[in-house]
Amino acid sequence: MIEIKKTYKNYVDGKYVRSESGKTYSVKLGNEHFELPLTSRKDIRDAVVSSKSGFKKWNSTSPYTRTQILYRLSEMLEGNRKSYLSILQNSSFTKKYAEKDFENSIQKIIWFAGLADKWEQLVGNLNPVSGEYFNISHQNPIGVVFSLNKNTISLSQLILSILPPLTVGCSVISLSNDSGLLALKFAEDINNSDLPPGVLNILSGDFTKLIDDVSKHVEISLVSIHDNLSQEAIKKIEVNASESVKRVKINPSTEGISSILPYLETKTVWHPKGT
Amino acid sequence: MVNWKYSESIESSEIVNIKKKYQNYIGGKFVDPSSKKYLNTVSPSTEEILSKIPLSNQKDIDSAVKAAKTGFEKWSSITPQERSQYLFKIARLIQERSREFAVLESIDGGKPIKESRDFDLPQVAANFFYFAGWADKLDISWSAKELKPYGVVGQIIPWNFPLLMLAWKIAPALATGNTVVLKPAETTSLTALHFAELCHDAGLPAGVVNIVSGDGSTGANIVNHKDINKIAFTGSTHVGKLIQKSLAGRDVGLTLELGGKAANIVYEDAAIDQAVEGVVNGIFFNQGHVCCAGSRLLLQESIHDQFIKKLEKRMQTLRVGNPLDKNTDIGAINSKEQLDKITSLVNEGVSDGGDLFQIECELPGNGFWFRPSLFTNVQPSYSIAREEIFGPVLTTLTFRTPEEAIEIANNTEYGLSAGVWTEKGSKILWTADRLEAGVVWANTFNKFDPSSPFGGYKESGFGREGGRHGLLSYLKASL
Repeated sequence: MIEIKKTYKNYVDGKYVRSESGKTYSVKLGNEHFELPLTSRKDIRDAVVSSKSGFKKWNSTSPYTRTQILYRLSEMLEGNRKSYLSILQNSSFTKKYAEKDFENSIQKIIWFAGLADKWEQLVGNLNPVSGEYFNISHQNPIGVVFSLNKNTISLSQLILSILPPLTVGCSVISLSNDSGLLALKFAEDINNSDLPPGVLNILSGDFTKLIDDVSKHVEISLVSIHDNLSQEAIKKIEVNASESVKRVKINPSTEGISSILPYLETKTVWHPKGT
Repeated sequence: MVNWKYSESIESSEIVNIKKKYQNYIGGKFVDPSSKKYLNTVSPSTEEILSKIPLSNQKDIDSAVKAAKTGFEKWSSITPQERSQYLFKIARLIQERSREFAVLESIDGGKPIKESRDFDLPQVAANFFYFAGWADKLDISWSAKELKPYGVVGQIIPWNFPLLMLAWKIAPALATGNTVVLKPAETTSLTALHFAELCHDAGLPAGVVNIVSGDGSTGANIVNHKDINKIAFTGSTHVGKLIQKSLAGRDVGLTLELGGKAANIVYEDAAIDQAVEGVVNGIFFNQGHVCCAGSRLLLQESIHDQFIKKLEKRMQTLRVGNPLDKNTDIGAINSKEQLDKITSLVNEGVSDGGDLFQIECELPGNGFWFRPSLFTNVQPSYSIAREEIFGPVLTTLTFRTPEEAIEIANNTEYGLSAGVWTEKGSKILWTADRLEAGVVWANTFNKFDPSSPFGGYKESGFGREGGRHGLLSYLKASL
């Protein structure tokens, strides 16, 4: 019997799509080679258009619903435990490592799911201004976030590069290179969860060829880099970002409250008290 | 009609002793600039040369940063309680010398004495009081494993609220355990240089606060210095972008508080008379030299004519003139350069087709002045509706529905502040949620407090100043 090999595609706006460039790059998994989409400038632009509408939908989804959708994502993953373990083991990891990575991933998703309806209570507060005013600082998600995944094959690392901005209501464009196959596999569970299209777009490719397209795009509000890039590449990103005062985070924390702070804008609202 | 005869009430300037020449304050000593060069500082209300301030060069910045590094060791070695107590002491000294600073601020910067005396100086003291109390409570400020100061912080501040911006910068930086090299704006350095004396009098350890005057090149020397750990800048979006670019690829912290073009939305169900007052305060406070000024008036179409009529009438009562006159509402424009910029944008607004209303009033012969101005019949594409004018010029746009108001309000690269006027609570909350702005004033405008975070969305910058959130601008956190 001939083994049927899957064609992996980018996941944009709730659909599986090839790169418009038609280009692919090859990754080896076990004894097989897989061709993954080599994301182009046009693909990034399409993803941003989708992420903008995704942001509107996700940001207007209630915290309670966001919590349930993220929790459901962990249920989707659990159902596909075997496929993930097989990808990890075929990427030359031990069974023990693969199981630990998978277990971590589930735990992290559940942790962030439970944060989605609480973080505003942890990072906002009433301000004791002098005078008869009601004054409160609360937070808005920053908007469309581009997140470069670490270039090591790990499901939990992929999830930690996506979940913090997603939890607070941002839409995310996630790009992976060596871990592209795992990321595009993850996209299938995203598709099966109840995340509205455009909230999370998952792409594979070579970031070094996309630096200008990402960091000069004015509709991307924040670029977060979870990979170890050259000093030269970081400088290029930050120079481009300065043209629109874009936020850039290099290896941001993925733990605790500090994991979500970069993706928030603090808004302070005043109103007089009176009769 | 009653003929009100005007009698002026001039605040005495005798309380201030302006020196002929100033020195930098570096490492606890007052020193001449190694450049041996000075800038004249001019009173914008008389064009009289008040004094000379150092035009500091690379060498001066080198020694200031070096002093701040040494100061950081000392500042880190004392207890949080001691740091707190130094800040309380400074707060008290400011209160005691408040009138002197207020008068100097009005002479050097041109703002009305009623604002420098009743707004700027009380807020300066309040900021030091507020952050003094945080210095020994950082461990309970955020749920953090570790909060560490950056070290040496370079701070560059603008000319619109010279001493208040200094307080917004220095108080939180010191409370969080950093030491600073601060450069005041070249047209308004005098209060900062007098503040140096106050730090000296408070016995602040040498190098904790270093104040170095100069121009843009001096600021660039601070930004590009290899031993700077963080830059905090307040000023134009243009310069903010240059700073962000200069720091690209370097491990230096950055917070930016940049320009704005705030929408002040007045719905048809607003308390109209209160809204007129709020709109006037929103744009004409401090001659409109306010980054968060409500410079775009968004009127619901149904109340346009009625509102403009009342607004023009109210504007006509504004008194423009001598900043030291206690009756003055609108003082001098801060510099010739700024006056030229305002004039050119207003001329452009007229030639674009906007209808210009300016109040009738006499302007003093010398100095830099601009009549409070109101544009109506404006298209959103006009420069006066898009660019930050930073002067007493209000631009009116109209809308029909709340959705359209939000669309227009957010249709700008800026996102610093916004205003909303309506008597309907649910509409306030609906509007505030949708405005892309760091500060939203509902049925009020231009209110500030040290406990209230301030800062922008989008190209108005990043980071917050004030409040618990303001601490994070000066702390490296692993939470």
